[in-house]
Amino acid sequence: MSEAAFSTQPSRAGRRVRRLILVVFLVAVAVVLVLPLTLTQPAADANLDPETLGIDFAINKSIVRTETTIAMFVALAAAWNLIGGLTGYAAFGNVAFFGLGAYTVGFLTDKQHLSFALALPLAPVGAAAFAGLIGLPLLRLRGHYFAIATLGTGIAVGEVIKNIDAFGGGTGLFPPILRHADALFFYLMAANAGLAVLVTWLVLRSRFGYGLIAIRENEEAASVLGVNTTAYKVGAFALAAALTGLAGGIFAQWSSFIDQESVFPVQYNVQMILMAILGGAGTLFGPVAGAIALEWLILALAGGGTSSVYAQIGLGVLLAVTVIFVPRGVVDFFGGSSRLSLGYFRRSLRETSV
Amino acid sequence: MSLLVQQLILGLMLGGVYVAVAIGFSLVWGILNIVNLAHGALVVVGMYATWYLFTHLGLDPFLTLPVDAAVLFLVGYALQRGVINRVIRAPLFFTLLLTFGINLVLINLFLLWFKADFRSVTTAYSGAGLDVGSITIPYIRLAALGIALLLAGAVGYLMNRTRTGFAIQAVGADKDAAQLVGIDLRHVYALTFAVGAACAGVAGGLLSTIQAISPTAGEPYTLQAFVVVILGGLGRVSATVVGGLLFGLIEVLAQSQVPGLGAGWSNAIAFAVLVLVLVLRPQGLLGRPA
Repeated sequence: MSEAAFSTQPSRAGRRVRRLILVVFLVAVAVVLVLPLTLTQPAADANLDPETLGIDFAINKSIVRTETTIAMFVALAAAWNLIGGLTGYAAFGNVAFFGLGAYTVGFLTDKQHLSFALALPLAPVGAAAFAGLIGLPLLRLRGHYFAIATLGTGIAVGEVIKNIDAFGGGTGLFPPILRHADALFFYLMAANAGLAVLVTWLVLRSRFGYGLIAIRENEEAASVLGVNTTAYKVGAFALAAALTGLAGGIFAQWSSFIDQESVFPVQYNVQMILMAILGGAGTLFGPVAGAIALEWLILALAGGGTSSVYAQIGLGVLLAVTVIFVPRGVVDFFGGSSRLSLGYFRRSLRETSV
Repeated sequence: MSLLVQQLILGLMLGGVYVAVAIGFSLVWGILNIVNLAHGALVVVGMYATWYLFTHLGLDPFLTLPVDAAVLFLVGYALQRGVINRVIRAPLFFTLLLTFGINLVLINLFLLWFKADFRSVTTAYSGAGLDVGSITIPYIRLAALGIALLLAGAVGYLMNRTRTGFAIQAVGADKDAAQLVGIDLRHVYALTFAVGAACAGVAGGLLSTIQAISPTAGEPYTLQAFVVVILGGLGRVSATVVGGLLFGLIEVLAQSQVPGLGAGWSNAIAFAVLVLVLVLRPQGLLGRPA
């Protein structure tokens, strides 16, 4: 806001630093993308029994697993950004779409014996259709009302599914296990993450995107200017739901077991929001950066057992520190106008506190 | 027929619990414009406080209620003054995230200190009830309903009959004007949150005699408190009382009278009520149109 007045053209040194950062970033992306092939694929090609491959292979597998999880959260955060960051609607229940996508794949592969390849495309379709359906009443709500109504959606959908025996009831669903598919799942998740960023990029450049931003800044004004606010909001919601549902569908086959607790976790709602905010809500790469940094941190902290309790406490504290000190996200913090200084924190604090 | 009467009575008593839980939530939301996602965790603090005093000092659970209120008053004051006041002018979204973070920290502290075990407060009169014909009225739930109504009365008195209450209402109506007439905003915000937390503490103390205590036992109550406030309408104690009692009735009747629904559906029922009210009458049954 006020910082915009201070922004200047980047200096020559600044441009060089930026180019360097870009190169490092691209190299890192390339390494991350190729790694799964070298780590697990040789064993898969030889069709070796994972049990006999020993500790090194187990470590390689866990690295791929970490990468896959991070890619999944990149997609979730980028998808949330469409409705929460661009449109400014505080969606607190996107996990409903994740769970619906997962249950679509789980139900079709386990109960209907459809192949994963045929079931997966239906996951985003189902999630988006559901988002359109509940979006019509819910997106008429503003502020807290929308936030809690979506939070309730996430909880209620999981509960309803758990109570229906056709969807496995309390036992859950078991999609048939795909052996030696670690690399496949990583590339699927990474493709979905890339898709989410691509969609965001396209939206940001389109009439649709400008309409969403107009809604975020002032919904009445946008409406007066001829933006069909209902259609735009439901569209953004459904788009976010489709990407989230796709991630859920991949997750279902990847974990080969799903139940209410594993695919409707309430904390995912807040994790994806925190990632987007931490990185910079409404920006293209903010949610990506936030998801990579935060999920990596969470996975590094949580070794299981009591340490996962400390990880959760750490997450809660991080949440508090983020909203108090860097409410506009790290991208705003490092990028462009503002400088790394105590003054930044003090200004953020003064703007919002009483 | 007597089965229906029995269910109506149980519904009202369950409603009493919801009133107790929702009073503090409603106060904080109405005055501070904060939807406190840590409200359920504050209720659990009250549960553990009562459990501790009951098992270690042998106090009757109902005698521990003032202690619960006092403990949570202090916790609430410190939380608001030290933490939440920092983001009170930020978009609502940030207060939601902040209170969710507080919720996460509290739940995991409970896990650390008390483990995930279920605990209970069982007194000599726990299973006893008053028999009227074929209808049974459990003493504990009856007492909980009575105390919830007393609590509502006390908060109503505080808000409408005392200088402190007027100051709180003034801040809720227009914080800048309130500041101009000499009201200390930081203190009144903290005080309001403290009163809300104290109500959560009393609710937790009551609940400890009714249900099992565990670190996540308070989670459903945050959503349910929200539904109660939506149902009744924001901004008046009487609306919360009506909303709470009605919601208790709806839940018990839906679970017992609608085929296919059972105890596992309480969140889904709450959500259905929420969406219906928000779509049909967004200001709540007793609320004034915005």
